[in-house]
Order: sequence, then structure tokens, then C-alpha cells
Amino acid sequence: MAPKKKDIGAASRAKIGDDEALDWLKPRTLIKPDDQEDVPEADLEEEVGRILTTINSQWIADEVAYHYGKGMFVTKPKPTFGKAYPLYIHQGTAIRKDSDEAKAQIAAGYGMVGFDDAGPKRVKIKKTKTEEEEEEEPEPDQPAADEAKGEDDHAAEEEKPAEPEPEKGAAEEQKPGEEGEATEEKGEGEVGEEAQEVEQEEDDNLDQILAESFVIKPRVKKLANQFNFCERAALTYNYPRRSVDTQTVPPPRANYGATALQCIIFDYYQEDYARKMKEKEDEKPKRLRKKKAKHAKTEQQIHDEKLAQRIREAWAILERLVNQNIYDDIAQDYRYWDDPSDEFREGMGSLLPLWKFQFDPMRSHAVCDVQWNPHYQDLFAVAYGSLDFTCQQKVGCLCLYSIKNPAYPEYAVITESPVICLDVYKEIPYLICVGLYDGNVCVYNAQLSLESQYQYKSNSVRDKHSNIVWEIRWGRRLIDGEPSFFSISGDGRVVQWAVMPGELQATTIITLTSNVPPIPGPDGTMLTVNSCGSCICFHPEKTEIFMVGTEDGMIHTCSLKYNRNYVRSIQGHHMPVYRINYNKYNNSIYASCSGDWRVKIWEDGRDEPLFMFELGSPVGDVKWAPYSSTVFAACTADGKVYVYDLNVDKYRPICVQAVVSKKTKKLSRLDFNSKLPVIVCGDTKGTCHVLKLSPNLRVMCKPPKKAQGIDQRTLQIMKLDKLLSLVRDPPFQTGVVDEKFEDD
Amino acid sequence: MADDTAATTLVPEKVIHTYPLIRHSDMSEEMRVEAVELSVTACEKFSHNNELAARMVKESMDKKFGPAFHVVVGESYGFEVTYECTNMCYMYFGGNQAICIWKCS
Repeated sequence: MAPKKKDIGAASRAKIGDDEALDWLKPRTLIKPDDQEDVPEADLEEEVGRILTTINSQWIADEVAYHYGKGMFVTKPKPTFGKAYPLYIHQGTAIRKDSDEAKAQIAAGYGMVGFDDAGPKRVKIKKTKTEEEEEEEPEPDQPAADEAKGEDDHAAEEEKPAEPEPEKGAAEEQKPGEEGEATEEKGEGEVGEEAQEVEQEEDDNLDQILAESFVIKPRVKKLANQFNFCERAALTYNYPRRSVDTQTVPPPRANYGATALQCIIFDYYQEDYARKMKEKEDEKPKRLRKKKAKHAKTEQQIHDEKLAQRIREAWAILERLVNQNIYDDIAQDYRYWDDPSDEFREGMGSLLPLWKFQFDPMRSHAVCDVQWNPHYQDLFAVAYGSLDFTCQQKVGCLCLYSIKNPAYPEYAVITESPVICLDVYKEIPYLICVGLYDGNVCVYNAQLSLESQYQYKSNSVRDKHSNIVWEIRWGRRLIDGEPSFFSISGDGRVVQWAVMPGELQATTIITLTSNVPPIPGPDGTMLTVNSCGSCICFHPEKTEIFMVGTEDGMIHTCSLKYNRNYVRSIQGHHMPVYRINYNKYNNSIYASCSGDWRVKIWEDGRDEPLFMFELGSPVGDVKWAPYSSTVFAACTADGKVYVYDLNVDKYRPICVQAVVSKKTKKLSRLDFNSKLPVIVCGDTKGTCHVLKLSPNLRVMCKPPKKAQGIDQRTLQIMKLDKLLSLVRDPPFQTGVVDEKFEDD
Repeated sequence: MADDTAATTLVPEKVIHTYPLIRHSDMSEEMRVEAVELSVTACEKFSHNNELAARMVKESMDKKFGPAFHVVVGESYGFEVTYECTNMCYMYFGGNQAICIWKCS
């Protein structure tokens, strides 16, 4: 059969080539093995019919096998069941339904299969099987016919492998056939029963459908064996029911009643408004409230206080009377004594020591600032601090002295920290702002009782300076009318303080930068170094211009409008600049003094000083005289006061006077009285010296004969201008500056 | 100074207070704020119809804090109510209106 098939295959291949006339196949030559037999074309073309016979060509009629028992070859016994060989026989448990045994079982009540498994299907199959077996028999012939026809019908060919060997016998064939038939049967059943579900082949569905068709069968008891499940049921004990109720506590209730009337509503609004007003008052700072609480005293207390006040006043008057008697001669000198020797000393003058002011608790303190009151000519304020920075005092003191009573200050208030600077407000002469050693600034009201201490103080946490406040100056009022003052501190900041109700509001005006490159800090950050401010001075007319002296000797001209840049900057000194003071008559002229022993007179816009004087000791203070445009005074650390009149002598002081012993004391600050011909200067042992200027030191200008009507101020300005033109016109002479005065 | 004091004594009589003012309340902070806000909105919206204002307040309060709020809006009335604790607010508004809100179911 095999060569035949091959032939057929070759034929069919050739056919494909011819029939379909594929041109591209033609040039192809079939590769043949070399030893292939050459068959002539005609033979290949010949059609060979396939013939199936009933005779099995493979069948061996008489098979011989060696019999070991007999020791000879014997013919094998022929199987009795025709052409099938039983290869394996297994006794199954299935029995035919219509056998006697099955009938007996059914009669006994067993054997009927439930609907749950494939039972019903099998039943049906079994039923139909008998019929189908007859139909099956002609089948084996059909494929043979089909095969002869060729490869038209694929479906037929597919069936072939299952069917082509029917010789095995009916018993064997049944089993494989069963399944095939079963599927076929399903198909048939479907078609027969429910046409619309022809295409559904899922077994589950089929089972259901089939099950439906066999509902008629009564459910019988299952055969109890190991393959069948047994259903058992049990009923648990039902507990008897009972109901339990509880009730929660009802939410609490309350009663409220009121009457709403216009009058009641109005009254309540009034009451609430009053309360709000009161609260607003209470919101004011604690300090003010405290003060109020103090005022809230009983009638008796108020009466007592008033009485005490009266007594105090009486005592104060009495004290003055006594002092007037004690210091009568000094008072006479102060008023009437003029040094007669001035007439003979051409151009030279002297200072007459008058009173010494001391406050006992402040004996060890230094006078750090001193200033005459702008309103009361006999009153001056003194700031007690300490300039010995290695052994700093714990407290300071602000005192107001009157020359009417040299024995005791009119007003003295102990501060928490040494007072370094002060300034009296010109508009309100009882307001004094002070700068403290710890960086705080305060405003004191001299009208208030001493217990109230300061009226305003900077916030120690939020905005105080981080270094000593070196100078403090009142500025002009802010737009809203609040007074403001400026402070300069060693931390390099100039801060404006607005005196708001109950508090001071700080604004940093400028931070003084220095040329020192940033220093690496301990944790890697770069610390910028500010130069330390040491003094500040406002331009008398241009209120936004101010000058700042620093501890490295620089004098910066700044404006309130720029917070980073300087308007001008000059290297004024080599040591800290202690004071810058504008001339009272010419706004472009100012004096500066420094720890480098020098006093310099500058003109705005000029990098070199007009005059330079060397005083042989650190110069603590320099001030222009209010009465003359050319007179200024300076005090030095060796206890001397120098008075210069540039109009009289451009190179030498017209008066040098040792006020204190240079061994123990130093002079720190001085101030001209604005009306009287006296100056006050403070030393480092807490004493203030009031000195009278001799006539030669306060020479007024005589109007020239041609213009008699000119007032003193114009004359002073003219005097200074004349002097300046002398200095300015010839180019700056270094010899002039270098010349030192003779030591006396 | 005399002028100042005179002025200050005169001024309060002229002032007409219109802000909401709580006369009595035991509500929680949140609830009270809500109630006051609602009352203000309602009274401003229905300035000439207290009934509608009261209804609006009542309905909004019911929605927000659970039902059975009662609201009275009026200019003069008296009341005596039983309320569930922490659910009572008696307030004035606009200088002439009294609003009473309470819950009782």
C-alpha cells in the first residue's frame, strides 16, 4: 500500500503543477535521490485503483509457535472470535441493563442512576446503541468508496483513522465508538429537541437540557457504595427566644426664657459697647495699665501723696536756699566775674571753674554724656555709665542737674544698664532718650515720678542693638506725628525708633558695611563683618543727611533714603571717631575728634581736612560754640579742655586748661550752654565740672563801620567765610597741619 | 480736654449698633458661629419678612446639625422654652431684632 500511496502523492503533485498552470513552478526540477528507480511517464500516469477485500492480507492462516512443554513447534490455536485479538480482558462492574442481573437489581430497588451525574445520558445511549449498531455496520464500506473519490471530502478523511480497521470486532469497537456516537448523539438530540441551541456544545448546558428531557424518571435510591455520596441532615437545637429592652437616658434639657423688647435690646447693645471700649483700653501695653492701676488709689492715699509731694517741694526750695547761701560766691562769680587778666593777654583766655556736680551713688561711674537742656538754661542732663570695659558697672544713672542746686540732682533715675549716651528732645524738653550699654534704648519722661522709670523701652528680645549704643539723637517727627530718634551702635546698625503709643518701633536705617572680607564662621558660614559705628550727627538743615563715625576711623555721609550705600565716605581718622559736630553757622563745616589725638575741621565734599589739630591725648569730645562761628572746644583724656578760635589763631588753642588731674581722671564729654557763657564737662569719676568762659573766649564780632545794622549771625557767617577763603585759596599746606602746638 | 470729654459722651448716643450680639448661648463654638452667620445672612436677606428669615435659619440649621430646630425672629416677644442642652442661642441683631434658636425634638 505504501508505494501506491506515494504514487498517488506524486500524481497529485504533478496534477497541481499541470492543473493550476503555475508558471513559476515550471523551471523547478524536482530533486530526486540518485538511486531512485526510473519509471516511465506512462507508468506514472497510470491510475491504480485501491481495492479493499474482505481477506486480510496480513492474516497468517497457520501461525506456528515453539511449545516449550512439548519441545516442538505447534500451530497456534486460532482465536474463536474471528479476527479480533483480546489483548487485555478486564472484568468490569458495568452490567447490561437488560441482563437478568440488572433486572434483579432494579427489582430490588438498586441500580437506577440519579440525574446528577452522566447517568441519564448513558441510559439514553444504551438505549439507542442497539439501534445504532445496525446502522454502523455499512459504514466501514463507505470510507473505501470515499477514498477512491479522492481528497475532496476532508471530513470523510478525518473519520478514516477511526474507522478503517473494522476487523477488530464488534466488542472492541464499541468502546471507542461510544464516545464518537455520544457526541453525534448529542448533536442529534439537540437538533431534535431545541433547534435554537444547535450550536451550543458546552457539556454543562447539554446536561441540563438532557436532564430536562428525563425529568419523568422517578428518583430512586442510590446504590450505596464508595463512589456515591450520601446525604445526611441534622437539625440543631433551637434555643427559645426572649426580648430584653433598655432605655437610654434622654438628652439633658433645660429651660430658658427671656423677653425681647426694643428697650432691652438697646440697653444690652449699650452695655456690650461699653464693655468693648473697656477691653480696648485694657489691650494697651501692660506697663501703661500698671501705671493706671497705681493711680487707682484710695482717697486717703491720694491725699497722702499730695501732701508728701508738697512737703518734698518745700524741702527742695529749702535745699536751694541753703545751697544758694553756701555757694553764694560761686554764683556771684558765675554771674559777674570776668577774668581781668584777659585784657593783657592778647587773644588768650581762661576757664573759670564754677560748680562741681556729683551724685554719691555714681562716684565710681563715668560721665558718658552730658547735655544742656535746650529749654531751661540752668539744667543739664548727665548720663552715668562706665568707660572701663573690662570692669563694667552693673547699673547706670540718668541725672538732671540744675546749677541752682549743685548738691543733689533734680532728677535721678537708676537704669538697669550703664547709660552711654543721651539726647534731650528739643520740642518736649522733658523727654530724654538714652542709649544703654546693653544695646537697649529708652525714653525717660522727667515729669513722671521716679518709680515709673522709663516711659518707653526697646524690646530686649526683638529689636535692641546687639552692642553698645554709642550715640542717640532725636530726629524730626514722622509723617504721622510721632517723635522719632536715631541710635548708632557698635553692631554697625543705625536704627530709627518711632515713639508709638506704648512702644518703640524700630527700623534699621543703615547697616554699616566694612571692607573686611567675610570671615568663615565655625560652622562654615561666612560672617560679614560690620564696621562698628561710634557716633552719629545729623545735618542741621537736610534732615535726611547724617554722618556716621566708625571705630575704624571712617566718616560716612549717609542718607535716610539709602540703606546700603554711603553718600560719601572718607578716612577721617586712624582711631575711633568719638564725635562729629556741625558748625552752628555754616552747614558745610564740621569738626570731628578721635582717639588718634586729633581734632579735624572738615568741609563737605573735601577729602582733606581744612584744619587739623593734635592734642597729645585721645580727644573725647569736640563741640562748636553756639555764640561764635569760629570757636570750638575739645576735651581730652589727660584732663584738659582746649578752646580754639580759628579767627584768632588758626594753629593754636586760645585756651588750654587742665580741669582734672590727669593721673586719676579723664575728661569724657563737654557741652556749651546755648545761652550762658559756660561749658559743662564730665570726667570718668562721675563729676561734672561747670566752667565759665573768660571774655577773650567769647569775643563777639564788631560790625564794620560801613554796615552797622548787620546782625551778629550774619557777621559770624561772614567771619567764617573770610577765614575759609583764606584756607581754601592757597593750596592745602601740609606744614600747617603738621605743626604741633607747644605743650604748656 | 473739656471738648474731648463732651465729644466722647455725645458719640455713644448717636452710634447705632448693628452687629450680631449674643445674649445667651450654650452652643459649641463652631455651632454658635454657624448660627450667628446664618442669622445674619437670613435677616439681611429677608429684612422685611421675619417669618422667611426664621424659616431660612431653621431649615439651614436642621440641615447642618440635625432636625428639630426652632427659630423665632422678631422685635418684641417673650418666650419660655425647653431645649436640649448645648443647643440654644439667643441673640440680637441689627439693633432691633431678637433671634432665638433652640433645638428640641
